[in-house]
Amino acid sequence: MPSRQYATFEVADQLFGVDVSQVQEVLRFSEYTRVPLAPTSIGGLFNLRGQVIAAVDLRVQLGLPGRDLGESAMNVIVSVDEEWVSLLVDRIGEVIELGDDAFEPPPDTMGSAYRNLIIGTFKLENRLMLALDARRAIEITKPEESRLADAV
Amino acid sequence: MEELGEIIQEFLVESHENLDQLDRDLVALEQDPGSREMLSSIFRTIHTIKGTSGFLAFHRLETLTHAGESLLSRLRDGVQQMNPSSADALLRMVDVVRVLLSAIEETGGEGEVDVEPVIAMVTACIEDPAAPAPAPAAPAAEAEPASVAEPEVEAAPEEAPAAPVAEAPAAPAPPAAPAAEEPAGQHGARRSVADSSIRVDVDLLDALMRLVGELVLTRNQIMRGVGVVADPTLTRTTQRLNLITTELQESVMKTRMQPIEHIWSKLPRVVRDLSSTCGKRVRLVMEGKETELDRSLLEAVKDPLTHLVRNAVDHGVESPEERAAGGKNPEGTLTLRAYHEGGHVIVEIADDGGGIDPDRVARTALDRGVATREQLARMDNREIISLVFQPGFSTAKAVTNVSGRGVGMDVVKTNIEQIGGAVDVESTVGAGTTWRLTIPLTLAIIQALTVACGEECYAIPQVGVDELVFVDSQSGQEIEHVSGAPVYRLRGKLLPLVRLDETLGLPAGSSDRDVYIVVLQADGRRFGLVVDRVLNTEEIVVKPLTGRLKDVGAYAGATILGDGKVALILDTPSLARRSHLAAEAVERAELEMGGAEQELGRIERLLITGIGERRVAIPLGMVTRLEEFAVDRIERVGHREVVQYRSQILPVVRLSALLGTYDVEPEGETVPAVVYTERGRSVALIVQDIVDIVEDRIDTRSDLDDDGLTGSTVIQQRVTELLDVRRAIMAADPNFYTEMPDTMVGA
Repeated sequence: MPSRQYATFEVADQLFGVDVSQVQEVLRFSEYTRVPLAPTSIGGLFNLRGQVIAAVDLRVQLGLPGRDLGESAMNVIVSVDEEWVSLLVDRIGEVIELGDDAFEPPPDTMGSAYRNLIIGTFKLENRLMLALDARRAIEITKPEESRLADAV
Repeated sequence: MEELGEIIQEFLVESHENLDQLDRDLVALEQDPGSREMLSSIFRTIHTIKGTSGFLAFHRLETLTHAGESLLSRLRDGVQQMNPSSADALLRMVDVVRVLLSAIEETGGEGEVDVEPVIAMVTACIEDPAAPAPAPAAPAAEAEPASVAEPEVEAAPEEAPAAPVAEAPAAPAPPAAPAAEEPAGQHGARRSVADSSIRVDVDLLDALMRLVGELVLTRNQIMRGVGVVADPTLTRTTQRLNLITTELQESVMKTRMQPIEHIWSKLPRVVRDLSSTCGKRVRLVMEGKETELDRSLLEAVKDPLTHLVRNAVDHGVESPEERAAGGKNPEGTLTLRAYHEGGHVIVEIADDGGGIDPDRVARTALDRGVATREQLARMDNREIISLVFQPGFSTAKAVTNVSGRGVGMDVVKTNIEQIGGAVDVESTVGAGTTWRLTIPLTLAIIQALTVACGEECYAIPQVGVDELVFVDSQSGQEIEHVSGAPVYRLRGKLLPLVRLDETLGLPAGSSDRDVYIVVLQADGRRFGLVVDRVLNTEEIVVKPLTGRLKDVGAYAGATILGDGKVALILDTPSLARRSHLAAEAVERAELEMGGAEQELGRIERLLITGIGERRVAIPLGMVTRLEEFAVDRIERVGHREVVQYRSQILPVVRLSALLGTYDVEPEGETVPAVVYTERGRSVALIVQDIVDIVEDRIDTRSDLDDDGLTGSTVIQQRVTELLDVRRAIMAADPNFYTEMPDTMVGA
């Protein structure tokens, strides 16, 4: 039976997982450079061994209030289209192997912010894991024009 | 088949290089028709192409180069002299060879290129050398019967098509041997340089450059860390690392460097063709062609440079007749100059032509709505000339079939600014124009100013930075506001300001006191960027921003500073565009202030005088009489000049001296003077010419830095300065206004 490995993490007490092949590394980081005028989902930029990495705040992407970057946060660095982007998460979980038979499409009752970002759900023994679509998770809506206008 | 493909690739690369050399040689040959070295070199190049094309079965190419070779061998052997028509024929041949080569590159075959007309043209030069060149007729005619057959005999059997291919670089030597020993040695040296070099994939060089960029950053971070640890061994090792990194960085940068000659090499041909089309005579001088630039930049500079050169030939240099009439050498000189200056490469394109007339530029700008009358009035000549870089300026006259390919100077400017460079122009009417391109040495590592705003650091590319101003509250300097927009009075001129915190939507800084203003020049504007602190000038490695953040528009990229933190690189042109509101407010304010202080919009009668090249206006209300004084009646009393006038001693001031135009010496026996009398006292202001009296609406004034003027305006399409009459009077007679009236009654 085909199965996949997922790197798991928590955001707002919900367990998520991304395909482990997309994950480059996981690290804790505390110094972010803010990017004024950028969409709020951009938590900031940081230096990963000479590369400038943009950190995407998953809380914002899920429609929750943004994270305070004053404290250090966990970064799950995913590689999408050869570009490295960091997902800011609350806690890191284990890497788990899941068979495709445990997979179910996202339930209709799920909020749209969540539903847009996930491929489906996996029923674990005592909780639910949402399989994240990395590409959609790092998708950022255009900067808000109004803010630009205000700033002028 | 694969192998053959590779051979063709090699052949194409080599031929393109050879053709560039050929263009240069042919043009040089025209200057020095007797040069055997040059002829031999050209002959060898064509010969090599012919040989290889025969081997690769490109028959049309072979036939064409064969014809060219026949003509060249005659020229080389002195059977026939080089003249314009043979030069044209050979250049045409080179062009068609190029067309054939691109056809081969694209399709693998020679395509439908018709070589017959050119072959006929070349052959015509061989068969009838006497007609176009009467002077060398004798030797040509003498050799005529034999030489028709000779080239074929000489060229064909000796160069069996297959032979040169096997050893392409070596093969050309034998045919040249009888021509000259020296040039063979010379070219031998050049070839050997080629032998000691290898071709490297540009991607590999790019990868090396990236790695070195990482190394530079890591080095910077280690250097900081070592300071904290304070271990002597570690410090020494780090210093060594520092040196090696710097050297490595320079070496890797060098691998990507190419002399600017690479893009200049095509220009002699461009200038030659263009000047003959325009009926002009232009000598091209190149200085500093060994100056090196990063290859990607070289590529980016090529088109703007060519455009500027074409423009200089087409519009800059006058026709020989016009030049002769103006007392100039009928042959114009176009100088290309490249040199290093402060981490940048400067490329100048200078002509000694007619220069750009600011008045004409002003008129055109007005016609095309590029600038308003108000704006023009506030500009000095330099700023007016810079209007040619504005989109929409390009004049109808400029769009000839020559330099007008739908490309205006604004495109030149945009292209240069895209690579982090700058372009400006200086011009003197009658003396010529100099275009100056300032180009960074490389794209990847740039010189930048780091500034702080709030808690974050930002980098500003140094190229746009004009100066730094500290607003020192202790000495009473401050940021002012007009119509709510912040401005700063910089040497008497209002500088529109942009607050970085506000622009970036950051919480506003605590106050306007003791902040720094970075004076920037970008997008045709000059403005000040208000930041909290200025930190440093340093070399930074430019990291591209993820596509998601480019849309924000305010940043040109990101970099990593010595402390390992990421800093955003500000995009100065986009900040400049954001400064427009402040700039408009400044314009309005200047008008309003002008109104309050200088009676805005009132119709004034003005006396226009000429002081050297300048036009200076004096309100007619301040003119009592116009006089002519005999030069020898002006006497000196102490360090002042006076003149006896209506049994009074009249203090005199020369406006030329007051306004700093000392070189204008009055000619003739009398000088015109403006006499002003008030309460029985008089002074005389000596001018050079009385030009006119006009009634003008003085609604456009700008503050100038000059002493003795209240501003300038445009009268009769010309920028005219307004004299500060009170000041002029005080200069003549410091006590004019202060003396008690009753002492003057008796005077």
